[in-house]
Amino acid sequence: MLWIFTLNFNFLSQIIDDLMEFKHRRVIVTGATKGLGKAIALSFARKGAWVAANYSSDDQSAASTESELASLTKKYLLLKADVTSKDDVDKMIKSVVDQWEYVDILVNNAGIIRDKLLMFLDEDDWDRVIDVNLKGTYLCSRTILKTMIARKFGRIINITSPSAFTGRAGQTNYSASKGGITSFTKSLSKEIARLGITVNAVSPGFISTPMTESLNQDIKCDLLNRISMRRLGQPEDVAEAVLFLASVKAGYITGQVLAVDGGLI
Amino acid sequence: MQEIINNKGKLCEFLKKMIIETLRLEDIIPGDIDNKASLFREGLGLDSIDALELVVAIEKIFNIIIEDEDVGKKAFASINALAVFIQDGYQRALKN
Repeated sequence: MLWIFTLNFNFLSQIIDDLMEFKHRRVIVTGATKGLGKAIALSFARKGAWVAANYSSDDQSAASTESELASLTKKYLLLKADVTSKDDVDKMIKSVVDQWEYVDILVNNAGIIRDKLLMFLDEDDWDRVIDVNLKGTYLCSRTILKTMIARKFGRIINITSPSAFTGRAGQTNYSASKGGITSFTKSLSKEIARLGITVNAVSPGFISTPMTESLNQDIKCDLLNRISMRRLGQPEDVAEAVLFLASVKAGYITGQVLAVDGGLI
Repeated sequence: MQEIINNKGKLCEFLKKMIIETLRLEDIIPGDIDNKASLFREGLGLDSIDALELVVAIEKIFNIIIEDEDVGKKAFASINALAVFIQDGYQRALKN
């Protein structure tokens, strides 16, 4: 009887450990109040992490995300900051470190699209996409490094895109930014691997979001034909991949891109 | 800490111990490190990634920020150079 009890207790203890895998881990997710970023932030919160959710401007989405975070954890922060501004990023990370002492995990998710054929793509469309997607990743990673180096532990997870590898008409700016993020991931991983910090990227395929839901039926059909699984991914599919790369289990993986795309053709 | 910073001999000893502990250097004791020898390559054999750890340690311990690579190269030229860099930084902080 005692043996069975011990076995069950160990089993339950294992389940609880798995459920709270990120207990006390401090996480910053940029662009965390919508779409993928929100799913990632909430997934971390569900697994016990302390979540600092960054957003740039949409206070309404932020308020909605805040109430969802609050229902999951008391350890959360909502941080309004423009990831393209060094001052904003410095202040944001200082604010997290002042309150939480350190940060274990950074998810560079903030990103925008401004799709246009190159002929019609003006300088502002180019600069803005490169700034938010690529410069934002650079600034946040650079600023967070000190706290990670001091603890000799860290996980940086960047969000790239299939567009970085295959290219896509109308996305020269976006694919260049994501290609940059992919190369950035690989180079930085080599710089800091020895310091206990891993740097990886997740490349989501077509994910179900309000944007993909609003596409007309023909485009949707065409899109589904390009996915081996014949269905769109869910934001939570991407979040699971991010959580895996952030986990202790992924400690020997660095400089990699994990595609979460249902077998995109 | 102020007493150590003001005494160059003590500061050099402190820095040697800090380097050994921060970089977890095995089989090296403070007495093995020459104050004038380079910390990199032919000297102690450190590299740029080791320097990253030292930059963070110096900021944490002395509250002195090494802002760019050129400053770092001069500061990490030797134990002596690092001690002077920290003493200068400390004096500047006092004036401000």
